[in-house]
Amino acid sequence: MKPLALLFILLFPLTATAEAMRYPAASGPERPERLIVHGALDVAYIQPLLDDFHRRHPDIDLTYRNLDTLPLYRRFLATPDEADVLISSAMPWQYRLVNDGHARPLDTPASRDWPAWARWRQELFAFTFEPIVMVVRRELLERYGRPDSHAELLATLRDHRDDLRGRVVTYDPERSGAGYTYAIEESRLSPRYWDLIAALGDVDTSLVDTTGEMLEGLTDGRYWIGYNLLGSYAHRVVEDDPDLEMVVPDDYTLVIQRLAFMPRQAPHPRNARRFLDYLIDETGQAVIASQTALGAIHPELDGPGTADAWRAERGNALRPLTLGPGLLATLDDLKRQALLTRWRREFNRDDEDR
Amino acid sequence: MITRDSLYSRLLTWLLLPLLALGGLMLFQAWLDARQTADRAFDRLLEAATLAIAEQVQWQDDRLWLDLPPAALEMLATDAEERVFYAIYDNRGRFVTGNAELPGIDSDGANADDGLYYRDIQWRGLALREGVRRTRLEDWRQRERFDVRVAHTREGRERLASQLLRGNLAYILGMALLAAATLVIAIRTALAPLTRLRRAIRARDPRTLAPLELPLPRELAELRETLNELLARMRRVRANQERFIGDASHQLRTPLAGLSARAELALRQDDPTQWRQALVAMQDTSARTSRLAIQLLSLTRLDNPEYRPELSPVALDDIARQAVKQHWSACHRDGIDLGVETPQTTVKVQGLDWQLEEALGNLIDNGRRYGARRITVRVADAPPVLEVEDDGPGIPEARRLLMLRPFHRGSDDPDGSGLGLAIVDGIARTHGARLGLEDGHDGQGLRVTLIFPGALS
Repeated sequence: MKPLALLFILLFPLTATAEAMRYPAASGPERPERLIVHGALDVAYIQPLLDDFHRRHPDIDLTYRNLDTLPLYRRFLATPDEADVLISSAMPWQYRLVNDGHARPLDTPASRDWPAWARWRQELFAFTFEPIVMVVRRELLERYGRPDSHAELLATLRDHRDDLRGRVVTYDPERSGAGYTYAIEESRLSPRYWDLIAALGDVDTSLVDTTGEMLEGLTDGRYWIGYNLLGSYAHRVVEDDPDLEMVVPDDYTLVIQRLAFMPRQAPHPRNARRFLDYLIDETGQAVIASQTALGAIHPELDGPGTADAWRAERGNALRPLTLGPGLLATLDDLKRQALLTRWRREFNRDDEDR
Repeated sequence: MITRDSLYSRLLTWLLLPLLALGGLMLFQAWLDARQTADRAFDRLLEAATLAIAEQVQWQDDRLWLDLPPAALEMLATDAEERVFYAIYDNRGRFVTGNAELPGIDSDGANADDGLYYRDIQWRGLALREGVRRTRLEDWRQRERFDVRVAHTREGRERLASQLLRGNLAYILGMALLAAATLVIAIRTALAPLTRLRRAIRARDPRTLAPLELPLPRELAELRETLNELLARMRRVRANQERFIGDASHQLRTPLAGLSARAELALRQDDPTQWRQALVAMQDTSARTSRLAIQLLSLTRLDNPEYRPELSPVALDDIARQAVKQHWSACHRDGIDLGVETPQTTVKVQGLDWQLEEALGNLIDNGRRYGARRITVRVADAPPVLEVEDDGPGIPEARRLLMLRPFHRGSDDPDGSGLGLAIVDGIARTHGARLGLEDGHDGQGLRVTLIFPGALS
């Protein structure tokens, strides 16, 4: 476990300390039933869901702790009987926990109807649909036009190498788990990914840890192009800032999903079942669609804020991460070392050649 | 539950039980087969996955290196969404990479040959099927040996196995139903002649002893033949009885007719002396007739197979002496020499004294009646024998058996009833003794012996 823990410290720096929210039970019995949710999902995004759940189940004393993906994972392994529901966007890590038999299956009508591509073994459920996007500034659009695909982005980077130097930002795959996950997925999707990395290296792209940092720099005007941002987080910032525009690449768009499961040793399994069922049934999903930018995937829902809407708009370009054992390969130590070595080599290639 | 013993239920039980056991065995076999087939099919996935991983293992930076192909893991999870585990171990059994520390094929794994091994393991409470590929680097500088170990849970295998088993189950159940139905029909058909036989017997007139005539299978035909033999014996017995009754009434009618004629004749006379003579003659005749009636009675009793008198120890020599004493005066009157020969010690057998006395009485009477001059009653020891010898005319050997039949007389003696030897024969049978008729001393006369089965000490 040690190298993995070390990996986590590198991948998910502690940008936020554990942030907790509590919804006390309205009244009633002496000892109200409790529910403890651990999630790697900012409070701002999950709050509408928690509010609605609390309104429907006022008797449940609900505690939500917002943790980063690494502390979440480590805390779970240390005390597997602490949380009732675990939510995280670190898909490979969540998958690994469930694969190792830490999850309890959920058998409800909603879970049975849940699309097969968004669940695994009735144990692990994907309940959001969040495309990975580019965000560009007005300055870039005015000068070089809009890069609608990875190929166009590559061409723009190559054609205007000197003008764009220091004006591009993306994830650092070495320090960010999200960045690493996207890198490994993209390298599988397209062999030209490595050309893109080389081009990013040529323009001295800044490497950061979070979508938040990228959005900050873009709002400031330090960067003109942000590559691989979490669409759900970028959505709100871009809407508020007329200088920014969100670009969803039309050749391929990665989609990540928040995964939730009930630990086998959940202290309040009945409430855990209720909450997990709420996340994937039509009411919870409707809240996600209408009040958040997370993207609902319930098959009965369509319209804005749903996976269906994304599909209607983007069609075959969407590439959700496959929920399957392939995710385990992402976590392989040697695989990671190999990928990062290649990534560094490609990123620095042209500098040395020249 | 009331269990009624019947051939039908016996046959059904003894045929259905083995059938059931056989069916169970077939089911068990089918289950094993299904499991094996499913394992064979799914082990191919383990084989392919280990191969795909092994191909990616290289020697790099002075160590084993793996660029794990995600497809290798994905192929291990079928529609059943199995949990997947993998690990690489070097030649010294050290963990190189993987998501689980899977056990090797044996503790001193270094000795095992290269190849692919499958087995079922328990890992953290999960039932897994593991495939271990033991192979070497294909590199001209390095021939390092390593293990690729992959494992997945059994859901897919179990699903396939149960599908296969369900298919077989329908087949086996169908067979079992067919077999059971055939069995029931076969048993009913086979037992039908028995019902016919029963009906034929029930439908018979109870008075008839005619043989049964109906076609039957071999086993029942034997039963029918046995029944017919029994009926034939009963017919003979009845014929004998009818003849006996006829003979007996004939025997009784003659003296009764004589009595009647004599009385009629005397009534025509007026002379009292004539009457007296007639009365004397009538008394003599009625005495003989009453003796005949007693003999008939005892013969009937002796001939009854149901008659089983309780035997008690009796002394043969006492009985012989008693009989001689009883008949001595009658014999002496006729000038016959009646003697008795007994051993020194007492000879005891199981028997009835009055029957043995009657037998001796009959034999002595016979000798006297057929003109013997000397009659000897003899008792012998070891084996116990009671013997009466006379020097009368005797019986030719060819006629001796006939003499044992009732009403068969050696000569036309009007006094004899012809029952004496038949009664002796009946008494011998009652005692389990063997009756022998032989020539007397010097080939003259008759010697009748009763040889008893054993002496009482």
